[in-house]
Amino acid sequence: MPDDDPIAEIMARCALRDAQAFAQLYRHSAGKLYAVALRILRREDWAEEVLQESFVNIWNHVGDYSAQKSAPTTWMTAIVRNRALDWLRRPHQEYGTEDYDLLVEALASDAPDPEQTLQSERAARALAECLKRLSGNQRQSIALAYAHGLSHGELARHLQQPLGTVKTWIRRGLEKLKSCLDDH
Amino acid sequence: MKYHNELLREALAAEYALGTLQGRARRRFERSLKDDPALRRYVASWQERLAPLDAAVTPVQPPARVWHAIQRRVTAAPRGWAALWDSLRFWRGAAFAGLAAALMLTASLGVLPPERSELMVVVMSDERAEPRMTVSWDTDSGGDKRMRIRVLGHAEMAPDTAWELWMLPGGDRKPLSLGLITTHETQSVLVPRELATAINAAWGLAMSVEPKGGSPTGLPTGPVLYKGQCTKL
Repeated sequence: MPDDDPIAEIMARCALRDAQAFAQLYRHSAGKLYAVALRILRREDWAEEVLQESFVNIWNHVGDYSAQKSAPTTWMTAIVRNRALDWLRRPHQEYGTEDYDLLVEALASDAPDPEQTLQSERAARALAECLKRLSGNQRQSIALAYAHGLSHGELARHLQQPLGTVKTWIRRGLEKLKSCLDDH
Repeated sequence: MKYHNELLREALAAEYALGTLQGRARRRFERSLKDDPALRRYVASWQERLAPLDAAVTPVQPPARVWHAIQRRVTAAPRGWAALWDSLRFWRGAAFAGLAAALMLTASLGVLPPERSELMVVVMSDERAEPRMTVSWDTDSGGDKRMRIRVLGHAEMAPDTAWELWMLPGGDRKPLSLGLITTHETQSVLVPRELATAINAAWGLAMSVEPKGGSPTGLPTGPVLYKGQCTKL
């Protein structure tokens, strides 16, 4: 991403334990990362906890980052996503019926529309184009799983399809996505 | 667990990045990631491929308390106050000496939190003075006030009962309910708005066993399991 270069520099300073750089990193990225956590968790208190844990994690591991091959934003987003998914899948932390209704409502109101929502960068365009080549079911399950952290089981419930069918949609969809992206 | 088949490895990496690889399979996969650079590369590629899906997210400013909490934790790490606070063994070890000694030890290590952030801490112990639960909150947090709760060790709740947390205002004033809590190791509970200020002046906290749904009378009806005094750090 073009706006990642200043972040890479800020992160390098964080690795040297520069607290001011860390504050800068937070100011720059917290809004986006909090939104990612909120989209998956749908509860502000949980998203706050996850954001807090994630930034402590980022601070502790920013020194390892240079060895990684991904963009800073992708690296930080992955940390938040993993924390959020772990949080969501804690034992006894399944969505209650009420939460699940809210979730379904929310999903209906922001139905994934890659064409409209993706930024016009090259990678984003390629992904949008390749998503379009998937079947509607494949596209929908992948977008829902990614954006809202739905499990195979929750997807099956939401889409009212057998579990095996949903699993196949995802697997085949990802395979097709990769070969399409590789051609771009 | 080894994943020999390359196609399977990449498919698992894709589902890991997507988030649909779960439970034991996810844990197992994460363990393999640690010493398998090729597998990490698969994951990184998939994260990059899917990353544009996050570009559509509209940033939401998190409340200021999140940054305060992060700051408190990172400025003290790794041997600092936060690490000590999170260390179960420390509290267990401190049990014999009680809270006062624990706090003196904390102070003597020079690991108290920065002055401007006032933290209220309650170490709640059972009848044998063994610490069982810790509760803390920021005294100055504006807006919604949250208590951070840690249940130390494994705790079990009897069927059809509930754990209710009480604020003990001190003197002969009656306990006021702070709501129900769970046996989860870490929890974050919202302080009822009408008690958000009063709790900073409370003498202590107590936890009682109540019927499912909480005390029917508004006062503790069951046995008090844990109790502790508030200390400002």
